[in-house]
Amino acid sequence: MSLVTTPALVLQTYRYSETSKVVRLATRDLGVQSAIAKGALRPKSRFGAGLELLSEGMAQLYFRETRELHTLGAFDLVNLRRDLAADVGRFAGATALTEVMLKMAPPAPLPAAYDTLTSALDALERVPPGEIDAAAVRALWCLLAVLGFEPSLARCARDGAAIEPAADEPVPFSVADGGALCPRCGPTSAQPPSRLPLRAYADLVALNDPRAELPPLDASHAAAHRRLVARFVRYHLGEAGPLSALDFWERRAWVPPTPTPIPSAAS
Amino acid sequence: MSAIDDLVTELAKLPGIGRKTAQRLTFYLLKQPVESAVRLAEAIRTVRERVTSCGVCGTLTDEDPCTICRDPRRDASVLCVVEEASDVTAIERAGRFRGRYHVLGGRLSPLEGIGPEALGFDRLLARVANGGTACVGEVIIATNPSMEGEVTATYLQQLLKPTGVRVTRIARGIPVGGDLEYADGVTIAQALLARRDMTESDKTEAG
Ligand SMILES: [Zn+2]
Ligand SMILES: [Zn+2]
Repeated sequence: MSLVTTPALVLQTYRYSETSKVVRLATRDLGVQSAIAKGALRPKSRFGAGLELLSEGMAQLYFRETRELHTLGAFDLVNLRRDLAADVGRFAGATALTEVMLKMAPPAPLPAAYDTLTSALDALERVPPGEIDAAAVRALWCLLAVLGFEPSLARCARDGAAIEPAADEPVPFSVADGGALCPRCGPTSAQPPSRLPLRAYADLVALNDPRAELPPLDASHAAAHRRLVARFVRYHLGEAGPLSALDFWERRAWVPPTPTPIPSAAS
Repeated sequence: MSAIDDLVTELAKLPGIGRKTAQRLTFYLLKQPVESAVRLAEAIRTVRERVTSCGVCGTLTDEDPCTICRDPRRDASVLCVVEEASDVTAIERAGRFRGRYHVLGGRLSPLEGIGPEALGFDRLLARVANGGTACVGEVIIATNPSMEGEVTATYLQQLLKPTGVRVTRIARGIPVGGDLEYADGVTIAQALLARRDMTESDKTEAG
């Protein structure tokens, strides 16, 4: 058994006993790991309020190579990310990212994935309201890329031919092939590919480039980009079970129905 | 499987009870007079048969509507929204709240697949919007101060905004009898944010 101190982010928590919690952590140095936080549910726990979904801190893990459940010795909170809770859209994007991390990241060191996830959450916390969707879509594409699922956009995903987008010819994008297709490969795709108009293709390229400015997306374009990245995740995640947070985010399940007007005294 | 094993297995399924404790409970019950074990068995059966959720507020009750919803002395203009029926019990134990409740039966949790549909927010909205004579003037959101509890509060606030009802959130901070020295940074920060003027009197308490 070794004691490892690593930056970590809480991906999930559940009650283990009357007094203890099990936490699923994205750690910078050990990948995604589960640990038991003994006594975390006691009123005067040394973990304090830190072990909350999406909170980030320094974790001390008693780590055993051969075990699946380790012991959390301490968690020194760095960032509680409470601003995400003040906007359901930001929170939804954050949980979709969390879900991808939980289901796709290995229990092995992957600092790039950890850094991408935490900076994506930072971005989701501070972008202006109009850019939340674009920020979440970008965050998902970037996380997919560091997890080994980067879509091929500049070159054909089949034969590597350069993609030359034209104003009058939509770019075929095949989720199954993992990216854009050239005019030769497009028609041969097993599943009919999505056809991206020039603007959508350019936006997709920008969304995949963390250094580019976030493209402005109106409601229908944002919906199309949410759909595309969600389909990509579902396809490449294969049989990993339901992706409820991704679904919640993709269909904006929190947008309230039109409220019933209060009946006036006359009615 | 013996009768003893049967009971041990059933008890061990309860939260917080391991196999050892289940065994200890089983042998304890075997040492007690028969009547006391029968009483326990009857109580478990009755609770399952009789207790349902209140058709008005959603809390667990023997009678529908529950005693709180039927009590004319309870202020129907103040609704306290909680996650679980056990939260109603906790607030009632404090004995200070005189309004009524609304139990959501959970909190928004996209990772667990719990969305607005699962929590029956439309039932709450209908109560607030169609209050009839007993018009709801204030909704106190008393979901837990966890990440999901906070998001649920944010969602509720947006949902209720068009109705024009006053929406308040319970305060968070240092527990009574607590010690600042041992409180964590988050709690202290929240307590500072939720500070209040000392000229305010206790009369402003809800309900
Ligand atoms: Zn090609
Ligand atoms: Zn009731």
